[in-house]
Amino acid sequence: MTQPAPPEAASATPETSDATEPSPLAGLVAGAVLVAAGLGLFTRALTVGADRGITLGGPTFAPIVVTGLWVLVAIAYLGTQAARWRRRTTQPNAARPTWRVPIMLLALLIAYAVVLKYTTVGYVLATVAFYVGAAQLLSTRPRREVIVRDAIVGVVLSLTIYLSFTKLLGIALPAGVLPL
Amino acid sequence: MNAFGDLINGFGTVLTPQNLLYAAIGVTVGTFVGILPGIGPALTIALLLPVALELDNPTGTLIMFAGIYYGAMYGGSTTSILLNTPGESASVATSIEGYQMAKRGRARAALATAAIGSFVAAIITTVLLTFVTEPMARLAVSFRASDYFALALLAMVTVTAVVGASIIRGLMSLTFGLFLGVVGIDALTGQARFTFGVTSMLDGIDVVVVIVGLFAIGETLFIASRLRDLPEQAAPLEPASGFAWLSRADWSRSWRPWLRGTALGFPFGALPSGGAELPTFLSYMYEKRRAKNKDEFGRGAIEGVAGPEAANNASFSGVLVPLLTLGIPTSATAAVMLAAFSYFNISPGPQLLQNQGPLVWALIASLFIGNVLLLALNLPLIRLWVKVLQIPRPLLYAGILVFATLGVYAVSGNIVDVLLAYGIGLIAMIMRHLDFPIAPAILGLILGPLMETQFRRALLLADGDLSIFVTRPLTLTLLLLAVAALALPHLPKLFRGRRPVLSGED
Repeated sequence: MTQPAPPEAASATPETSDATEPSPLAGLVAGAVLVAAGLGLFTRALTVGADRGITLGGPTFAPIVVTGLWVLVAIAYLGTQAARWRRRTTQPNAARPTWRVPIMLLALLIAYAVVLKYTTVGYVLATVAFYVGAAQLLSTRPRREVIVRDAIVGVVLSLTIYLSFTKLLGIALPAGVLPL
Repeated sequence: MNAFGDLINGFGTVLTPQNLLYAAIGVTVGTFVGILPGIGPALTIALLLPVALELDNPTGTLIMFAGIYYGAMYGGSTTSILLNTPGESASVATSIEGYQMAKRGRARAALATAAIGSFVAAIITTVLLTFVTEPMARLAVSFRASDYFALALLAMVTVTAVVGASIIRGLMSLTFGLFLGVVGIDALTGQARFTFGVTSMLDGIDVVVVIVGLFAIGETLFIASRLRDLPEQAAPLEPASGFAWLSRADWSRSWRPWLRGTALGFPFGALPSGGAELPTFLSYMYEKRRAKNKDEFGRGAIEGVAGPEAANNASFSGVLVPLLTLGIPTSATAAVMLAAFSYFNISPGPQLLQNQGPLVWALIASLFIGNVLLLALNLPLIRLWVKVLQIPRPLLYAGILVFATLGVYAVSGNIVDVLLAYGIGLIAMIMRHLDFPIAPAILGLILGPLMETQFRRALLLADGDLSIFVTRPLTLTLLLLAVAALALPHLPKLFRGRRPVLSGED
C-alpha cells in the first residue's frame, strides 16, 4: 500500500503548522503534563467507579477506558519524547515561538467575553475595542501607523455584524449603551 | 429507475422561488463566511447553523444548508489557495500547489480550476449518490449494535492512522476528543461525568465549541506565537491580463485531473472510514507522478490544484453515504451536519430513507441546485476574492477572533462555552506547535459517545456476553480491519527503524 504524503510534507511555507520541529524540551514537558493530567483523570474516574460500581455496560465504564487509554498513550508519547531528548543536538533553534502575544490575546478574549456577558457596554462598543486591541497585538508595525485604519475597520465590522445578525438573521446580540 | 423518480420528486419539492432564494442566500453567506481564513467548512456550517435553523421549515433549512455547505467548501479552498490557511485537513493538498500558483500571480487560474473542478466532481458524485444511497440503506438495515460499534472504531482508527506522521500523536489527539465526548450527563442513566460541578457542562461539550476552539482560535493563537517569522501582508497579486479565467492550456491540463480526482474521492469518501484526507493526497501524489513536467510541481502546477480539489468535493458526496445510511459521520463537516439533523429530530440511519424519504431526496436535489448557484456566484467573484490577498494579517486574524466568539456566543449564549472554546484554542495552539494532528480530536468527540451507546446496547442485547463482538462475522471482520488499519501503515516504519519517512520530496 503506497502512503500518501503526510501533511507534514505539505508545508513548504511557514504558515502551516508543521514547518518547525518542536524543541525536545517542549515535547518532554508536554509528555509529562499529559501523563500527569491522564493520571489525575484516571484516578477520578476510578474513584467515581468505586463509588457507583463498575459494570461493563454501566456509565462509569467508558470514563475509565478513555482516561486509561489517555494514560497509556501519554506514557508512550513521553517515551518517544525522552528518546528525542537523549538524541538532541545543540543546534540553535531557528524559529522559537513567542508566548507573550498569544497569552495577551487570550487575556483580551476573556475580557471581551466577560464584558459582553456581564456589562451593559453592548456588542458594538465591546467588539470595536476588542478588534482594535487584537489587531494591535497581532501587528508588527508601530501603533500610530495603523491605529486609525484598525479603528475604522473595527467600527464598520462590528456595526455590520450587529445589524445583519439582529435585523436580518434575528439573532439577538446585546445592544448596550448605543441607541441602535 | 426508482431512485431517479424519487429524485425528480425531490426537485419538485425544492424548485420553488422561495427555496431557490434560500439556496442563493445560503451559497452567498456560506462563501462569505467560508472565505474567512482559518474558518474551514465545518466551522462555517457550525457558525451558520443557527441561521438556517431560524427557518423552522425542514426543506428550506436543508436547502439553505446545502448552499451554505458548498459555499463554505469553496470559500475554504479559496483561502487555502490565496493565503495558505486551510481550515481543515481536506484542503491541505489543494493549498500546496494553489498557494504556489497564487504567489506567482496565477491566483485567478487556481481559483477557477478549483471552482469548475469542484462543480464537475459534485455533479457527477451527486448522481452517483442518488443510486448508491438506497441499496446502501437496505444493507444498513441488517446492521446490529455490535456492528455499529466496530464500524465506528474502524472509522476512528483509519482516520487517525492516515492523518499526521505519528500514530502516537494521532492517538493522543483522538483520546483528547474521546475524553471531551465523555463529559456531561450519561444518556442512559443520567449520571453526571467529569462536569466538575459546572451546571452548563451537564449537556456535554458542544461540537461547535470544540471546532471553533480547535480551528479558528487555535490557528490565530498559533499565528500570534510566530508573528516575527511572518510577513505583515501576504504576497501581492500580479495583475493578470484578459478576462478569461482559464487559458486553453489550463483547460486541457485540468479536465483529466478533475475526473481522476472525482474517481478517487467518491469511493474513498463512501467507505465508513471515509474522510477527504486520503483521496486528496492520493490525487496530489498521482498527478505529480504522472505529470510530464514534474519540476513544475512545487512551483504552482495547475494539475495539483485541479485533482485534489475535485477529490475533496467528490469525497464529500461519498461521506454522505455512511452519514445518511448508517448515521456515521466520517469527517468534521459531516459531524456538524449530523448535529444539524438532530435539531429536526431527524436521525440518520437505516430507517432514514423509509421514514423521511422525501426529505432525503430533497436534500440530494438541493445539493445539485447549491452547486449550480455556487458556480454562477463564484466565477464572477474570483475578481473580488483575489483582493483578500491585500488585507493585512492583523486585520484578518482579529476579525477571525470576533467571528469565532460570535459563533459560539450565538449558538449557546453561554459564557462558559465561550471560555471553554478559548481554553480549547490554547490547547490547540500547543498541539500545533508539538505537531499533533487536529482532526482525530473532533472524530473522538463525535464517534466516542456513539461507540459507547452502541457498545452498551450490544451488551444489553447479548445479556452482558462480550463474545457478541467476536461471534458475529460482520463485527469481527470490521474489528479485524480496524486492527489492520492501525498496524499496516506503520509496519514498514517499524522494520526500518525509527527514522521518520517522508514520501514528498519538495
